[in-house]
Amino acid sequence: MRHSISRSDLQIIQHEADIVARRLIRQLRLPYDDLADIRQELLLDLFARLPAFDPERGSLGAFAGIVMANRATRIAHKARRDRRLYGAVPASLDETLPNSAGATRGDLIGEDEGLAAYFGQPVDAFAEAERRLDVERGLGTLAPNDGALCAALSRTTVDRLAGGGRGARSSLYRRVKDIRLALLAVGLRAA
Amino acid sequence: MISTITKLPTVRLRINETDLCGWIGQAAPGDVLEYYRGFLAMDTFSHGARLPECDRAELTRLARRAWWAGEQKLIHLVQRRHGPDDYGYLAVARSKPKKAPASLSSLLLAEVA
Repeated sequence: MRHSISRSDLQIIQHEADIVARRLIRQLRLPYDDLADIRQELLLDLFARLPAFDPERGSLGAFAGIVMANRATRIAHKARRDRRLYGAVPASLDETLPNSAGATRGDLIGEDEGLAAYFGQPVDAFAEAERRLDVERGLGTLAPNDGALCAALSRTTVDRLAGGGRGARSSLYRRVKDIRLALLAVGLRAA
Repeated sequence: MISTITKLPTVRLRINETDLCGWIGQAAPGDVLEYYRGFLAMDTFSHGARLPECDRAELTRLARRAWWAGEQKLIHLVQRRHGPDDYGYLAVARSKPKKAPASLSSLLLAEVA
C-alpha cells in the first residue's frame, strides 16, 4: 500500500534515524565522522521499505523504529566483523612512518607475514630452490617409468590414467606408494 | 637321534619400510639405525616360524628397501654379529649426493609432448 509522507512524517523519520545512528556510534565506539553515513544508510533502507507500511497496523514512527532497529543490528554486525578482520583501528600499508626517510608501514612487514604465507604459499626463495633440488635428486632415484608417472600425475589422476590404458588402478597405486617411499627416503615428505 | 633341540629365539619387527624411509630422509651423515635384529635370511623365509606372516611380509619389504637405499648410495649397510643366528642389521646414513641426476623441467616437458 502506498502511503504519502507528509512534512511532519519526514521530520519523525529523520529524528528517529538521528537517534538510532547516535546510539550506534556510542555503542560501537565508532568515529563521530561515521554518523552521517550511518544515518543515511538507515534512511535509505527505510525509504526502500516504505511501500510495505500499512497505517492501519501501526504508526509511521513505530514502523520506522522497527525497520531502523533491524538495520542497526546489521550495521553493528558488519562493524564487529570488520574489527575482527582488520583490527580496531585499520591502518594503511602505504602510510609513511614518522622519522623513517620515506619508509611505509608495508616495508616493515616481512614476506613470511604476508597474505601469501597465510595461505600456505612458499615465500622463502632459498628454501624453494633447495626443495627444487631435493625434488630433482629424488626423481633421480626413481626408475624412468616411475618418473614419467610422476610427471603424468602432476596434471591428472590415477583413475584417469588407468582409464586411458596406462595400467590397472591397483598397480598404479602400488607404484605411487613405492614412489612416495623413495621420495621420503631422500627427505621429501608428502604435501 | 636328536637329543637337544636349540630353540630359536622369537624376534620382533620393530620398524617398517615407511619408518626406514623416514629415518633415511632426515638422517645426518654418520647417523646409525639398527633397522632389524635377527637373521634376515631365515626370518624372511616363507616357511619360517620366528615371525607371524604379516610381519614376515613387512620384513621382506623392509629388507628390500634397505638394499635399494644402499644401491642409491643413501646409506651403507653393515651387520654386527651378536651370536648364532643373531645379527644386528645397521644402516649408516651417507651424505646426500649433491648432483641432481634428473631434471624436473625435462620430465614435465616430456610428459606434455
